[in-house]
Amino acid sequence: MTTSTRKLADLPQENRNLEEKSRIVLVGVPASPGFAMGKVFPVVNREVTVVEETIPESRITTEEQLFLKAVSRTAKEVAQIKEISESRTGLRDSLIFATHLMILQDPGLVNGVLDKIKQERKNARWAMHLVLSEYIDKFEKIDSPAMRDKAADLRDLYNRLMVAMEDSGPALEEVSSSNGVVLVAHELVPSLLMAVKPGQVAAIAMDTGGRTSHVAILARSLQIPAVSGLKNFAGLVKADETIIVDGSGGMVVVNPNEEDIRGFHERQEVFERQRRELYTMRRLEPMTRDGKYITLHANIELPSESEKVTDFGATGIGLYRSEFLFFRKDAPTEEEQRDAYKQILETMAPCPVTIRTLDAGGDKLVSGISASNEANPFMGWRSIRVCLDREDIFCTQLRALLLANTQGNLRILLPMISGLAELRRAKACIARCREELMAEGHECAEVKVGVMIEVPAAVMLVDLLAKEADFFSIGTNDLIQFTLAVDRTNELITDMFQPHHPAVLNMINQTVMAAHREGIPVAVCGEMSADPMSVLLLVGLGIDELSMTPWSVMATKKIIRSINFEDVRETVLNVLQMDDAESVNSYLHKKYAQTIRNLGISSFVGQLDK
Amino acid sequence: MIVKVLKVTNKLGVHARPAGMIVDITGPAKSDVVIDFEGAKANAKSILNVMMLAIPMGSEVKFEVDGEDEELVVQKLEQLFHDNFNEEAG
Repeated sequence: MTTSTRKLADLPQENRNLEEKSRIVLVGVPASPGFAMGKVFPVVNREVTVVEETIPESRITTEEQLFLKAVSRTAKEVAQIKEISESRTGLRDSLIFATHLMILQDPGLVNGVLDKIKQERKNARWAMHLVLSEYIDKFEKIDSPAMRDKAADLRDLYNRLMVAMEDSGPALEEVSSSNGVVLVAHELVPSLLMAVKPGQVAAIAMDTGGRTSHVAILARSLQIPAVSGLKNFAGLVKADETIIVDGSGGMVVVNPNEEDIRGFHERQEVFERQRRELYTMRRLEPMTRDGKYITLHANIELPSESEKVTDFGATGIGLYRSEFLFFRKDAPTEEEQRDAYKQILETMAPCPVTIRTLDAGGDKLVSGISASNEANPFMGWRSIRVCLDREDIFCTQLRALLLANTQGNLRILLPMISGLAELRRAKACIARCREELMAEGHECAEVKVGVMIEVPAAVMLVDLLAKEADFFSIGTNDLIQFTLAVDRTNELITDMFQPHHPAVLNMINQTVMAAHREGIPVAVCGEMSADPMSVLLLVGLGIDELSMTPWSVMATKKIIRSINFEDVRETVLNVLQMDDAESVNSYLHKKYAQTIRNLGISSFVGQLDK
Repeated sequence: MIVKVLKVTNKLGVHARPAGMIVDITGPAKSDVVIDFEGAKANAKSILNVMMLAIPMGSEVKFEVDGEDEELVVQKLEQLFHDNFNEEAG
């Protein structure tokens, strides 16, 4: 065993085969926090080779049985995933699996394959390949995007059936649940993660994906440590090799040496200790030492996450991104949406829940709704613009929201508002839907309507918006991107994406002042609200409410309880006069880095710069 | 044999879910059911065939139902189309 640290690029192909147990350290994206060590369990998207055979009459029954067994095994597998996804996601996402089950019973498909075996004397694999490929081909040619998407479902079934006939390779069911394995994959599909039993998977390492991929979000909600974006890692490791996954720092170590293992145990211990300590804080008030109360809310992506939110010490939901309901083949119906919203609102009542209306477009393409070829998608047909153009979609969502608000704790948040006309039109839609519902005999509680401040134009008009909105929520990611004219997906200028740029801080300052003049609260719901230095600035700027991923709430509470409002206010008045982000950052670092280090929350808030 | 023409009035047309609902009726039926959309005929017991027709809102679809329970099948299909597959009308 070698002990040198190697990067991917340094590792020539030939050597990799010779050195059986070389230590590999790779850095990716921290997708879900926590530490785990376990055996590698490769999840292979197997390339199946299908060979055409002409079989003798004596083999017909065997081949028929092989196919039928594969169908029933696959159906069982799909039914299982369907059941789990029903209970996990709490919405009718599982409908897609119901379609899968029906396709598996399709007479055209099943008889088509059996005919090819019996009449044309083809082997089961080849027969299945021919029949399904023909269907896939036909679906791909259909002149309807929704139907074309079905081709992907068919390919998924094709792979499942082929694997079921293969009869080789360990299936996840065979993994004992006492000793969690580390799933290593080039790409992991959400359905696989949803089918995992508690304790079965200790951690996840993936080649693809970032922090906000669907799998990463699921991993966080299931509290499984995960690292993504590891490029060509999956092809490098073998089954049963030992691997350490550091989901907080975004690092993996394969075949660790003693020093790695010691370091891992230390960090894991710190993580667990910090988690326990923070957990004891969850009932304490998020109040500064001089008595200013900051409301801490959680951002959630899945309706089922709402059950855990209060365990982390959040007193409400500051952002539910409703577009997650739309990431599927067909737009969700009014009833489906109502049920999903109701689950969140009733779980959280009487705590407030802010639900953002459909924010499609930009980097979040929703099939059937989004335009596909825009030169500047972030400044394109997205978000509230789509909703106001497609009032059918918007009103379906608004009706579902209003119907779900039986507890009266709903707050509706309108994204990407750039002027008063949009706000007024959206509010008119809400009022109209509410009247319609009441005319139909439904009870409709009053609902607060807020504006998301994320376009500089909204800040320029913030005094007027404050008079007509019930609350503001600042979307820092887009506000920074548009204020500084920095595309946050462009790798050439990532260093220019500066949350602490004085221009950004002044935008936030103006928003807070305008809101407080009208007596409405201001929330911040972007990534910024979980960064320790940013928290100090936001509190000093007078933000009333911070909303973040649930597991950041406790650490943020600890920060807030350690500071004086008067002190951070003074800091803010100083930095608002500074020339650039560098000056702000070095000032903050000098003044607060040690304090934050002493809080003992390092596993939860990421590393401090420098 | 009964021939019945039904109109698709839900907004999204016969996508995966409505196709499944049709097959829920035709699949277990004793009768043979053929679905005919603009001259393209298909076995209505096959969800793949029904989906492949990609029938949009506003279309007229012809069903040919032949067998001992043909009346019941037609009645159920009629109800299903009438209810817009429990979806929003267009």
